[in-house]
Amino acid sequence: MLGLRAFVLRWSSLALLVAAWELAVVTRVADPQFVPALHDVARALLDLAFEKDLWEGLAVSTMRALVGLALGTAGGVLIGTLMATSARANAFLGPLVATTYSLPKASLVPLFLLWFGVGNTTNILTVFLATLLPVVVGTYQGVKSVPQVLVWSARALGTSPLAIVLRVQIPGALLPILTGVRVALGFSWVLTLSAEMIAAKTGIGKLIFVYGESGAYAYMFAGIGMILAVAYAADRLLVAITARLLHWNDGIAAHREGTA
Amino acid sequence: MQGVKAPLIRIAGVSKHYRSRGSRVTALAQVDLDIARGEFVSIVGPSGCGKSTLLYILGGFLRADEGAIEIRGRGIEGPGIDRGVVFQEYALFPWLTVEQNIAYGLVNAGMERRQRDETVRHYVSLIGLQGFEQRYPRELSGGMRQRVAIARTLACEPDILLLDEPLGALDALTRETMQDELLRLWQGTGKTVLMVTHDVNEAVFLSQRVVVMSKRPGRIVDNFAIDLDRSRPREELMVSDAYNEMRNRVWLAVRREAMAAAA
Ligand SMILES: Nc1ncnc2c1ncn2[C@@H]1O[C@H](COP(=O)(O)OP(=O)(O)OP(=O)(O)O)[C@@H](O)[C@H]1O
Ligand SMILES: [Mg+2]
Repeated sequence: MLGLRAFVLRWSSLALLVAAWELAVVTRVADPQFVPALHDVARALLDLAFEKDLWEGLAVSTMRALVGLALGTAGGVLIGTLMATSARANAFLGPLVATTYSLPKASLVPLFLLWFGVGNTTNILTVFLATLLPVVVGTYQGVKSVPQVLVWSARALGTSPLAIVLRVQIPGALLPILTGVRVALGFSWVLTLSAEMIAAKTGIGKLIFVYGESGAYAYMFAGIGMILAVAYAADRLLVAITARLLHWNDGIAAHREGTA
Repeated sequence: MQGVKAPLIRIAGVSKHYRSRGSRVTALAQVDLDIARGEFVSIVGPSGCGKSTLLYILGGFLRADEGAIEIRGRGIEGPGIDRGVVFQEYALFPWLTVEQNIAYGLVNAGMERRQRDETVRHYVSLIGLQGFEQRYPRELSGGMRQRVAIARTLACEPDILLLDEPLGALDALTRETMQDELLRLWQGTGKTVLMVTHDVNEAVFLSQRVVVMSKRPGRIVDNFAIDLDRSRPREELMVSDAYNEMRNRVWLAVRREAMAAAA
């Protein structure tokens, strides 16, 4: 019973939003010219489900988001580890990370457009830059917080200084690293769609943008709904993977309880 | 016994300062200590007097600021598998199971699979943790973790054992069992042991020499040679006059330093 109650509580805010939306349009509190009724959105979604545009767009966008995220994660772990283990690297890269952290990466899209033209490179590069920094920060903090004695005991047990990074510091930092990846995953959708709206011929972002331009708002919301569903599923998947990888970790329970 | 040949470990005039947030803390001041090959030496002294610091320097994790340290006549370059360390905080790898923790150093040493499994099984039973092989450190009690840390270090069979309160988290009975194991291991293998402990009975029962350190900055203020016949069973030894007289002398010296530290 507790499970049911938690379930209801968990989904009720979303259900309320949906109901309020539909009600507002049906009762004409909101002008259907500007806000499509939800049942129209549902019909549009059903329509789109039989078109390959939507599925192709989703596939292309997901590919861009995930490739960008994978590159950003790899680069972020590398840079973060470097900064945490070398004072010189930290002194060199620290200011760069700190100043570019709050830069909205989407503002670079026009520049990338100029350099790389319309297409995957521009899109993926934008996602890469946006996902890089949260992973750098997570990795840096994670590696820094690995207890010194763990490194020492690994050294005394015959681990070479280089292997320490892979066998002690990164495993010890895995929770903050994956927390950074989770933030980055959220960014990856935002940046994929923003970049597609400005600089792409394909992708769900482009689709949403075209529907919006042409006034097909029900279809636009259908596209938004789809990408939300995909992003939500990806987040749940990452949380599940994290829990699995970190079953040995004391802090994992708190992580799992974090926002559903 | 000492003095005839060169000591295995030679600590001469070692000082260590920690710098933290602008201030300087002197942890060790002019420590001299020689340890012969095969000797079992215990260090006792008030909390914060620098015992762990001395072990960290011998382990090669920290450098002394002054003085000289030699092992087998050579300076310390860094950590090495010739010196096994059991840390006060256990320092188990939380992402590895009990079995994997104990096997960690053996894998590094390139021990072949079958022999490794056998070694791990041996040490798991030595520390009495059969049935817990697949558990992770967070699923163990403090005392169990400490025993895994001991097993992980012993499994590598280092020549020199640096033990930082290795039995501190154990209940009285388990502690005595582990003391007996340690004694048997030492007697059977001729390893050199340097052990930090707060338990005077433990120090006198196990060691050939008990070194008493002063409050911070730590210096060595007393050095008791313990000459007991350890072939006798524990009960007999611990009620003997020789043991108790020694225990009392060490206890008084430790108490004097503890009082000075509290003052
Ligand atoms: N990293 C550090 N930075 C600054 N001061 C330190 C550091 N590590 C230890 N100290 C100081 O050095 C002194 C000696 O510490 P150490 O850990 O060697 O003591 P100890 O004898 O092992 O104590 P205990 O019996 O409580 O374990 C302490 O007073 C401590 O405050
Ligand atoms: Mg200590």
